[in-house]
Amino acid sequence: MSDRSSDVEVVARVVGGDGEAFGIIIQRYEPGLLRFATRMLGSSDAAADAVAESLVRAYRHLAQCRNPARLRSWLYRITGNRCHSHLARRRTGEVPLEDVPPIADPADTWEVLERGEQVALVERALAALSPEKREAFVLKHVEGMSYEEMAAATGSRIPTLKMRVHRAREALLAALEERV
Amino acid sequence: MTSIDRRLQEALDGERDPATLPAELREAYARLVGAAQLLSHTPPASVAERVMAEVRRLPAPASAALAFEDGVARRVARWFAQPRAVTLRLRPAWTLAIAAALAAVVFLPLAESVAPGAEEGVAQFVGHFPGARSVEVVGSFNDWRRGALPLSDEHHDGIWHGAVVLPAGQHEYMFVVDGERWVADPLAGRYVDDGFGRENALLIVRPAVGP
Repeated sequence: MSDRSSDVEVVARVVGGDGEAFGIIIQRYEPGLLRFATRMLGSSDAAADAVAESLVRAYRHLAQCRNPARLRSWLYRITGNRCHSHLARRRTGEVPLEDVPPIADPADTWEVLERGEQVALVERALAALSPEKREAFVLKHVEGMSYEEMAAATGSRIPTLKMRVHRAREALLAALEERV
Repeated sequence: MTSIDRRLQEALDGERDPATLPAELREAYARLVGAAQLLSHTPPASVAERVMAEVRRLPAPASAALAFEDGVARRVARWFAQPRAVTLRLRPAWTLAIAAALAAVVFLPLAESVAPGAEEGVAQFVGHFPGARSVEVVGSFNDWRRGALPLSDEHHDGIWHGAVVLPAGQHEYMFVVDGERWVADPLAGRYVDDGFGRENALLIVRPAVGP
């Protein structure tokens, strides 16, 4: 199965009945979607469920993808919606911080331990943001999207997204500086 | 929470070279970029097998064969088989006779083909899109295929309309204006979430002939 085909070609194959070609789409976008959902939900298990449900939904509605050239944004949009629904079912929009700090392995170097602490610190700061700001920051700075792509992936307007990213940066920077 | 310097926001947005920032802002810049890098770790788990198992169990996505595999002959046949709005402009008087002859040929078979069956009804679509070059309807009833149901603006007043026979029941639909702008019918009255953050208009077709 060639994975050099464009997204448009792969979508055409899947919609044309070649269900196995959907594996190419998964291979291309699963890592980013899992990363995005994990940052949104704060739980790798919940993220895996959200991404699996989103990919199945994407497959079922692939013929409705209005612009297959922007498949990536479309997939992020479905996954983002799923994450927002998941968060809405919770009492608050905050992520649960379920990840208990790992037990230190004696073989771990100091650098590894320090990095682990830094990751936990940043994750906590991210978790304290509203889902909308968290989403905007992750899409911009973790997934490396342009504001145009973010607009397609969220359905929000670019000025709104810029404001959310700016506010998220301010909150993160304040949280990180407090803990230094 | 205090606002951070505009120059720092510009550098983070890629609109300014970070090297031009003053030292204190460069430190904040490095802190935020570093934080983003720490979040860039990709979880090792994969849901590929789980998703593909479900994909293999499901039918192909709707409209698969229709959208991509149909030959030209089948498309042409389908085009003629579907009811379409026909526009005849009768300005010059001498075309009246020709138009009347055409109408006799075109409208009689069309009227027969539009007649709904026992479990069908006629759906009328009307939209106000002044200045539009084309308007068409896509929906669950035509597998969201473009080109299957164009509307017409006979009087060039921005009122686009058309009719089609549909199976009785609920159908989701959207207008596509000028081939690119998808618009939910503002007059639909009922809408359903399309699952992707937007809404489709909802149409309920009742059987034209009672049981």
